[in-house]
Amino acid sequence: MYNYKVERLLNNLDKAYKGPVIPMKEWDTKIIPKTIKGILKKYNLNKTLDLDNPINCDDELADTFFKAGWELALELGLYCEDTERVIKVTEDEILECMRDYQECNILGEGQDQVIMKPRKPEDPYPPLLAASLGIVCSEENYLPLVQGIVKYNKLVDVLHGPTLATVFGREIRSGTPYETLMGNYESELKKEALWRAGRPGMPCTGVAGAVTEYGHMGGAPAVAGRGNVTMSLCPVELKCTFSNFHRIIQGLNYGHKLRIGGFSYIGGYAGPPEGAALACIANDLLIPTILQSDYTSSYVYDIQLFGNCGRKAVWANSVSCQAVSRNTGFMRNKIVNETGGPCTEMFMYEAAVGLMNHCVSGASKTTQPRSAGGRYTDYITPMEAWWCGDVFKSCAGMTRKQANEIAKKILPKYEAKLGVAPDKGLPVQECFDLKNQVPFENYRELYTRVRNELIDIGMPLDKCYGDWYMEKMQARRQYSVK
Amino acid sequence: MEDILKQISELVAEGESEEAVELVEKALDSGIAPLTVLNEGASKGMDIVSEAYSAGEAFLPELVLAGDAMSEIIDIIFSRMDAEAAAESKVGTIVIGQAKGDVHDIGKNICSALLAVNGFEVHDLGIDVPVKDFLEAAKKYNADIVIVSTLLTTSLPYLSDTLQYIKDTGHRDDWYYAVGGGPVTPEFAEKIGADGWSRTAFDCVQMCKKLVSECKPGQNGTILVDTEA
Repeated sequence: MYNYKVERLLNNLDKAYKGPVIPMKEWDTKIIPKTIKGILKKYNLNKTLDLDNPINCDDELADTFFKAGWELALELGLYCEDTERVIKVTEDEILECMRDYQECNILGEGQDQVIMKPRKPEDPYPPLLAASLGIVCSEENYLPLVQGIVKYNKLVDVLHGPTLATVFGREIRSGTPYETLMGNYESELKKEALWRAGRPGMPCTGVAGAVTEYGHMGGAPAVAGRGNVTMSLCPVELKCTFSNFHRIIQGLNYGHKLRIGGFSYIGGYAGPPEGAALACIANDLLIPTILQSDYTSSYVYDIQLFGNCGRKAVWANSVSCQAVSRNTGFMRNKIVNETGGPCTEMFMYEAAVGLMNHCVSGASKTTQPRSAGGRYTDYITPMEAWWCGDVFKSCAGMTRKQANEIAKKILPKYEAKLGVAPDKGLPVQECFDLKNQVPFENYRELYTRVRNELIDIGMPLDKCYGDWYMEKMQARRQYSVK
Repeated sequence: MEDILKQISELVAEGESEEAVELVEKALDSGIAPLTVLNEGASKGMDIVSEAYSAGEAFLPELVLAGDAMSEIIDIIFSRMDAEAAAESKVGTIVIGQAKGDVHDIGKNICSALLAVNGFEVHDLGIDVPVKDFLEAAKKYNADIVIVSTLLTTSLPYLSDTLQYIKDTGHRDDWYYAVGGGPVTPEFAEKIGADGWSRTAFDCVQMCKKLVSECKPGQNGTILVDTEA
């Protein structure tokens, strides 16, 4: 397993014992905000947030953000919580990482194999969709739910999966043997579901319910190798822990690709949307360089709205994603945090805006859905994953200008409810028939109605099924309207 | 007098602890009553930063630094008051932390900062806090309220474990027990028998004020505060 990635990882682990010592509170409340403020000022990026145009269409602005984010990455580095030291990098190290970075990630095997590629803004190459983004479900629903989520190979490429509420009827306490057992149980259930769905080679991204290294330790052996992925999520802002290193090493031990996350919060230590965008760019540069990710899972989140489908977060995600897509070949998994639940217009609108934005801004992959913000047990159905695939893949090749105009029409349909009263929606048993793997009439009607509504305002939602299919459907729709 | 109080409020709002503390001592030395310094100076600074945070004009670092300044000022002011008056002016002492297994602390940090900014003495135990540590800290700091937060469903069981541990060690009447965080619903809080639940960090401040002023631990059901509902 020893290769240049392991060598670099170990060098950076060594730095966690030798880098400058800074108390964590000082890092959070002084170093991060002051450095970000200073760099925003230096590059004249303060007040560049454009609420009237939530999807950035200005290449020059994206490039200026990139230069500023590059400087931030060099000035700060990643903070190691366990040793209270900073892992700093040089410009040469980031450049070396860019030079050696792979051209693509091959995930899965056989007929279920998919290829993840770096994408530029407005790239016609369709991005990948992993489903779902956690969300707790009852043990008895897990198997049919996963089977449903992965049912359509044109919509869902990678399995991340829901999280189990219990393991053999017992509550799962993180960091305990319950979690270790859950890791293996979840992996085995997923393999069974993939086999039942006829997609045995579909790639899996780690153990969805593993919040510590114990869950990974339990689950990784069951899905070792063959283009599967280990996930490791770093704490905000620009930090990492030995738990991250543990999971990365485990991933390498089992021949996995590495998906490593780092998030930035509007209203948090990074400050305003412009600051969060800047920190997000620094994450995209530091995580592959320091933690050797095969792709980064980074995004901007709005603390006050408990999600990232409001204008501020959509804008910050667009400008930061475009900055890195335009200037590097790094691949990134970008996430949308919907707050509306299953079987609601709100969920569909939030997902439409967030995913269209990530797609046209150059994301290579997403992990979706996060229905109802992941707050409630069994508030997930396969329909949300299918909808996310519909949107994310169909938007490939759209221009940012088109996407921005469409986003401006959809946002007013839900933004007043964000952070205040998002529509909770329905649990799976009230809107989806898990036995027959089809939606109930209430959800089918809603899905079709919102889908048609968004096609009418310009979203090319049939594109993921091929040009011929799209032309046929457009002709049928025109005929039926007349 | 108004000038110096205004300067104190501005320094608190800016999180300039050292300068704020110096000015508070100067104000007290000049004969301004401790409660006047607290209510007309430092507290007004807290209002400024709270409102700015609500409006999206100030962010977490400003809240934390203002909270730190406020804590230092409260210590000085109380040291200049007689014990009875200090006890009457004290809003309450809180032990707060992120449940075992959970390292997502930004929401909890906002709560801590807002509570400090609102005059509570806050002891933040950080992330991944074992059940027993909440009890030890509550005893050590003579807490009024213990708050456990989590963003993870796999850490939810620790919220009921902590309350059960408090009960089993005979301390249920000693502290209010409140819970919060992404997957923590009001129904969950009621089910485990917590004294309080709040949706946002601002709600958390209201909940704590309500608990210490109107309730008794374990005897009033679950106080639910959700101003946006």
